Amino acid sequence: MSKLPPVVIDNGTGYTKMGFAGNNDPQFVIPTAIGLPNQSRYGIASKRGIEDLDFHIGDEAMTNSKTYGVSYPIRHGQIDNWDHMERYWEQSIFKYMRCEPEDHYFLLTEPPLNAPENREQMAEIFFESFNVQGLYIAVQAVLALAASWTAKNSQQTLTGTVIDSGDGVTHVIPVAEGYVLGSSIKHIPIAGRDITAFVQQLMREHGETKIPPEDSLEIARRIKEQYSYTCHDMSKEFQNFDADPVKYFKSFDAVNSVNQQTYKVDVGYERFLAPEIFFNPELVSSDFLTPLPEVVDNCIQVSPIDTRRGLYNNIVLSGGSTMFKDFGKRLQRDIKRIVDGRVKKSEELSGGRLQAKPIDVSVVAHKKQRHAVWFGGSIMACTDQFYQFSHTKAEYEEHGPSICRHNRVFESLA
Amino acid sequence: MSNTLRPYLNAVRSTLTAALCLENFASQIVEKHNVPEVESGATKEVLLNPLVVSRNENERVLIESSINSVRVSIRIKQADDIERILAHKFTRFLMMRAENFVILRRVPIKGYDISFLITNFHTEQMYKHKLVDFIIEFMEEVDKEISEMKLSLNARARIVAETYLSQFV
Amino acid sequence: MILLEPNSYVLEETLYARFTSEKHELVDITLVDFDNVIYHVQSVDGQRSLLTLSVEMKYYNEVLAYGAEEILHCEYGDYLVPVTNSQYQITLQFNLEQLPQDKAALAKHVSMLKRNVLASPFLRAFEYWESQQEGAGPLMATHYRDDEAIYVQAQQDRVTVIFSTLFKEEVDRVLGKVFLQEFVDARRQASIQNAPQVFYSSREAPLEIRHLQGLKQDESVGYVSFVLFPRHFADPEVREKTISQIQLFRDYLHYHIKCAKAYMHSRMRTRVQDFLKVINRAKPDRTTVAAEKRTATGRYFRPQFRQSASTSPQTEGGEW
Repeated sequence: MSKLPPVVIDNGTGYTKMGFAGNNDPQFVIPTAIGLPNQSRYGIASKRGIEDLDFHIGDEAMTNSKTYGVSYPIRHGQIDNWDHMERYWEQSIFKYMRCEPEDHYFLLTEPPLNAPENREQMAEIFFESFNVQGLYIAVQAVLALAASWTAKNSQQTLTGTVIDSGDGVTHVIPVAEGYVLGSSIKHIPIAGRDITAFVQQLMREHGETKIPPEDSLEIARRIKEQYSYTCHDMSKEFQNFDADPVKYFKSFDAVNSVNQQTYKVDVGYERFLAPEIFFNPELVSSDFLTPLPEVVDNCIQVSPIDTRRGLYNNIVLSGGSTMFKDFGKRLQRDIKRIVDGRVKKSEELSGGRLQAKPIDVSVVAHKKQRHAVWFGGSIMACTDQFYQFSHTKAEYEEHGPSICRHNRVFESLA
Repeated sequence: MSNTLRPYLNAVRSTLTAALCLENFASQIVEKHNVPEVESGATKEVLLNPLVVSRNENERVLIESSINSVRVSIRIKQADDIERILAHKFTRFLMMRAENFVILRRVPIKGYDISFLITNFHTEQMYKHKLVDFIIEFMEEVDKEISEMKLSLNARARIVAETYLSQFV
Repeated sequence: MILLEPNSYVLEETLYARFTSEKHELVDITLVDFDNVIYHVQSVDGQRSLLTLSVEMKYYNEVLAYGAEEILHCEYGDYLVPVTNSQYQITLQFNLEQLPQDKAALAKHVSMLKRNVLASPFLRAFEYWESQQEGAGPLMATHYRDDEAIYVQAQQDRVTVIFSTLFKEEVDRVLGKVFLQEFVDARRQASIQNAPQVFYSSREAPLEIRHLQGLKQDESVGYVSFVLFPRHFADPEVREKTISQIQLFRDYLHYHIKCAKAYMHSRMRTRVQDFLKVINRAKPDRTTVAAEKRTATGRYFRPQFRQSASTSPQTEGGEW
């Protein structure tokens, strides 16, 4: 008999990705939201005893938001409400994944700098409530690195800088040999949501009056996903657009959600301006002005000196907001420029007596970027090492939840 | 409240209050160390006689005192399998979070379900009578919580069974 | 969610997504259902419009004897193809270009596959009852999990279904006992007088299966028998519903044991919060002690030991 595949669940702030290990894509990507009955429905009088089973998760929580109050159990990547999270998992497993947790190993993810106590609590829930066979808790950034191993130009190491940009926030996380360098992590308050808002604003400015206000955000999001790309040089790109508008300007067929009429939306400069806010944050923000390449460079510069070459050499993209065409190339060029500038300057200062070995900068883009963390988990959970490194139920019984404080790092894809 | 519980708790309260007469005491064995003597047990002359307050054979409290620390161990009532499991789960859950409870011991003394260790540092920084209040309240609430959990478990099971079987009607 | 669905939601969603996608991508997806059933959704090499669904079901050879194949032919005849890989027992193939109009209904129908296959012993038993033969029918065992089995036997006036259940863990065993006891007692309720009769015995196997070899007899095993009366299966519509429900008994029971544990956890969490409040009352109120002093940088000045004695951030208040 073949072994049942492990279950991989990546609970993010916005969305939860879950599926069986070995697959290329998660089976379910649903909002990390739980809909709980409004207080009024169960007064003190109605003591039925199983009110706690009356809830919805994911998209169903959203559609039932009239009668159910929606709450988000994860805040800033960390689990905020364990009660809700436990029930969220309960339904994820039994309704969505439809598996008997006693028969499976589980791989869960955690944000960098997660408190070990949180790991213990996770272990407590999974071993005591669900009786899972085994559990491994992986750091999201490390999984994102593992996911990049499928890329052509990947070096298959667990040293690298992860740029994780989702809907709410962008992190730059240096990882050395599978361990996150916590003190060097940087955050950028620009992510998917801001790009969409920026596209929306641009469209409003160039007079797309046909878009009904209630559809405007959704259309902005779709235009962003379908047409945006990263350009080489902003001012040159403006000239290109003006020189050959037919080639560059696109039109987007949209359907009015109310009366179902179709109409056209012109898509212009926002095509390359949208991702540009990573490189020129002053376009949208007045208080955060450091471009992404500079943040990455700073982040690597504050990391231990012996890891820096490895970090420059393996910059990995993860998350939906890094999916823009040529995003990686642009980032690589800009970081290279900063690094070369610094090397040159130090050579000049030494009066030409010292020759520095050039630093390789390479940004790895790959096909699985969108759900990179989940995908990394999926391939990790397929290795033999996964079973070796997971904490089993027997070990938990023997040592208690503290055993899950430490999760060994995978060495390679055996 | 049943008529034996009150005297039982009163006895525990007065014993504890008396026992919580602690003072700083440096270790006689290791220089510059200060250990709870009741735990180390190395200096016999500062240990006092341990004392058991018992309500019945299933419920009792062991109070071991010394010059700078008191250890209180509680055995919780467990009438049947379910109560045994609930009590075990609950105490385990609490001891997992011992850090927050300051005086809670991570491991109970053998033969008891949960133990507390109060040292002179605790009594110096916290109100003594409130600490006693906490232990008494804990003893009251634990029994209540376990029987409530048992009740709700039964209620749950009933609904679950009825819902399932009513599918066939 | 109190009851479990008879169909596999994840299979339904996966198939539906494949059926409706405009481009026929190459896919290779492994899915799992309760009781060690593995589905493998795969596109055929070189022919992207063909999609195969292979099913691995360990007890398939057993249910084959009870007529599972006829059911498969009747339900999925159009899609059934010979099995090529010996790992799998059932293979369906779909041509994505020639699907019926209602793709959602097809996806749903296919996701009932496990239920339909497992229905065979039950249908066999009901047929036996219909044939009005003298005496008891054959005892049909399905070892649907490693150490657990369903036994179905038709009698002249009823059909008996016996589940052998196994609890791996002590806590589960005790909780399971509470639940099963309520299953036995539930029929006393007036509203569900007509429900099947339930018996539960731990260790001792019921008479119907006592003669079988190799039955495990220790604390962890229990036997649950359901006695189905003609009113539960005479009507074809009720019959289908009965089959769907009774199959899921084990999963239902285990699901609720887990929910009960989750519920207890949430109770304990609130109780811990309450206890923390009580113990924190023992700490002197810091506002009275030098808390108002600030350093030159505007931070609060506080003696060092308070920080080490302080507890979780929830109880602290947010002033630092």
